[in-house]
Amino acid sequence: MEKLASLIIIIGTVLWLFSIIVLEARWQWQMFSALVLTVGIFCAHFWEELRDTDGTGESDGTEESGDE
Amino acid sequence: MARERVSQADEWQAWAQRYDIEGGIRTFESGLTVKVFVGALFVGLLMMPGSIYLSYVSGESGAGAAPWVAVILFTELARRSFTTARRQELYMLLGLTGAAVGSGLQYRNFIWYAYFINTPQAASYEIADKIPAWIVPAGDSVGVLTRSLLHPDWFLPIAVYLAGKLLGTLRFVSGQYILFRLTADLERLPYPMAPISAQGATALAETTGKEETWRWRVFSIGSMAGLIWGFLYIGVPSLTGVMMSQPIQILKIPWIDFTQSIEGFAPTGVFAFRTDFGQMLIGFVMPFPIIMTEFVTAMASQFILNPQILYRFEILHQWKPGLDVRGVGLYNGLDFWMSCNMGKSFSFAIIGMAASIPMLFKLRKSKKRAGERGSFATPPNRGDFPIWLMGAMWLIGMGGFIWLIHWMVPNFPISFLLGYAFLYTPINSYITARTFGVLGRDLFEIPYLHEITFILSRYEEVDIWFAPLPDEDYGRGTQSWRVLELTGTTFTSNLAGTLLIMPILLVSGIVVLHFIWKIAPIPSAQYPFAQMMWPINATNECLWKTSLRDGNSQMLQAIRGDYVAAGFTSSLAIYGILWVFKLPSMWSYGIIGGLGADPGSMVTRLLGAIIGRFYMIKRFGMRRWYMFNPVLAAGFACGVGLIGMGTVAIALVSKAVIVKPF
Repeated sequence: MEKLASLIIIIGTVLWLFSIIVLEARWQWQMFSALVLTVGIFCAHFWEELRDTDGTGESDGTEESGDE
Repeated sequence: MARERVSQADEWQAWAQRYDIEGGIRTFESGLTVKVFVGALFVGLLMMPGSIYLSYVSGESGAGAAPWVAVILFTELARRSFTTARRQELYMLLGLTGAAVGSGLQYRNFIWYAYFINTPQAASYEIADKIPAWIVPAGDSVGVLTRSLLHPDWFLPIAVYLAGKLLGTLRFVSGQYILFRLTADLERLPYPMAPISAQGATALAETTGKEETWRWRVFSIGSMAGLIWGFLYIGVPSLTGVMMSQPIQILKIPWIDFTQSIEGFAPTGVFAFRTDFGQMLIGFVMPFPIIMTEFVTAMASQFILNPQILYRFEILHQWKPGLDVRGVGLYNGLDFWMSCNMGKSFSFAIIGMAASIPMLFKLRKSKKRAGERGSFATPPNRGDFPIWLMGAMWLIGMGGFIWLIHWMVPNFPISFLLGYAFLYTPINSYITARTFGVLGRDLFEIPYLHEITFILSRYEEVDIWFAPLPDEDYGRGTQSWRVLELTGTTFTSNLAGTLLIMPILLVSGIVVLHFIWKIAPIPSAQYPFAQMMWPINATNECLWKTSLRDGNSQMLQAIRGDYVAAGFTSSLAIYGILWVFKLPSMWSYGIIGGLGADPGSMVTRLLGAIIGRFYMIKRFGMRRWYMFNPVLAAGFACGVGLIGMGTVAIALVSKAVIVKPF
């Protein structure tokens, strides 16, 4: 699922860049890219939460994580 | 070597724990006692007339420092009476005094419209006879001509205001609480600015105890720094302004503008160095990754994106050489950034939903403890309310409010009101709650929303301009619930205090304003600020209220769908790509926040963040530094507030003295 989410996000980003550079930044194409990206981001978060349930990424709230 | 993925859950949890100074272990106590209630009423009602008077005389109410004065007075009384003051009491005192001091100004619209209805501007724009009776009585009524708010003519406007106030309390309390539960309990967003208020009250509470701890020392250092800085930055210009025609500014207020200096190599770029070094304290407090990425992105926006891409492709097309930061900012906003920023703020809603919906799904399966991310469980004795009750309160409050507006403007399409109430308000509030939870500030508001609505509704009567609309924002208020949690104050005691003091303030506010209006007409020579500004404001108000008569508005034409889509999609792409490359999600908030912003306004904040990250943390250790810096910032705010109030008072006294020429 992680790889699938990454793939969808990359496709959405490439599609958006394509719509900006080639398709004269038409809002319809941009919003289509946004839809793809939204699906990818939702997949990513669902995967993160499901991974937590499996106990593989359970947080202990250490101070170092997410640091600079 | 592959970077290990740190889930957003872990990242937020870690940051939330840094700002939760006592490690999430605390007992909750009621902050509402008789001495707090009476103290707040005494200080608040004592300062309220002065605050109203000052706002008409000088345009500044001076209400910001009043709660701190009340708290310092209260702690001194406690020390001399050999009793102690708890931090819950002091935080409650801060809130109640602030409400009491500000209570007089809630009726200021009555005085304003009593003036406006009889202005030549309102007559010439053909508005005067169209102002509804639920805003102000007729211009020739006894209540207006005799300047008496207690006259029966004012019954309808006051009744409508009170009904709105009651329904508003229901909506705001419930709306804020629900969003707080969602962002602070479920998502565990860190709310980086909340500990400042919490630690100020805690530090002052300790002065009344037998043993003073590090908090009081750090608070005192912050206060002294605030007093010195406040004297240099606010005091010197205020005091010299009394004696000289041109006040002395040691540091130029509010910024030193380098925009014209950079236009040779970065046309359409802005750089105005903000001279308020108080921002350094915010840099100490805010998460370093956000400050850093925000600054880098803002630099890239102003030195690469604006001049090299948007200007070259004539997207920023109104720019002319020689403009200052305000001119360039205005034109850039109209050309591109206003639309783009709208899209950016919508992306926050999508990102927030993507983060929280999977957690809601998971809630049924998992049994997490209170204080863990993804848990809806509440800490014991916090004084929480059932979510269904809050939901019902919000529905009743909002339903009643829509009915009230429909009664005010019966011909305005109710579908717009329903759309605002049940679609726009929840989404907008959720966006703001999240930005406060992460960035400690609001990111953006959709401009000219009312104007857009009025055009789309094809409603042409003027009365809609005077009616309230249900486009509300509860997100900002979620931070105060977090402060209650950090100070260990029970939610029920705070709500009880607010509800108990409200009727007293509603009555006393109108009585005090009535007497101030009786002293002299507003505006008049006795109220110079009002005399100078109100005629201009009346003209502006007439222009706004008649601006859509010909269906033409430059601001509305500036909002373009393709630019809104660009802001929206680029923000989602930034967030997604950072996730793919396993980079902290904090970065995405910094990058999106910094897009199109002025880096000059961030320099002092960045300086604070760098000093904090590379010196203070090494010197004191991370945990101690995160304990120190909110206390320091609270002391600083107290110092600046006190010096501001003191210098304004001196300036006012000197202006009140008439120097005779013999």
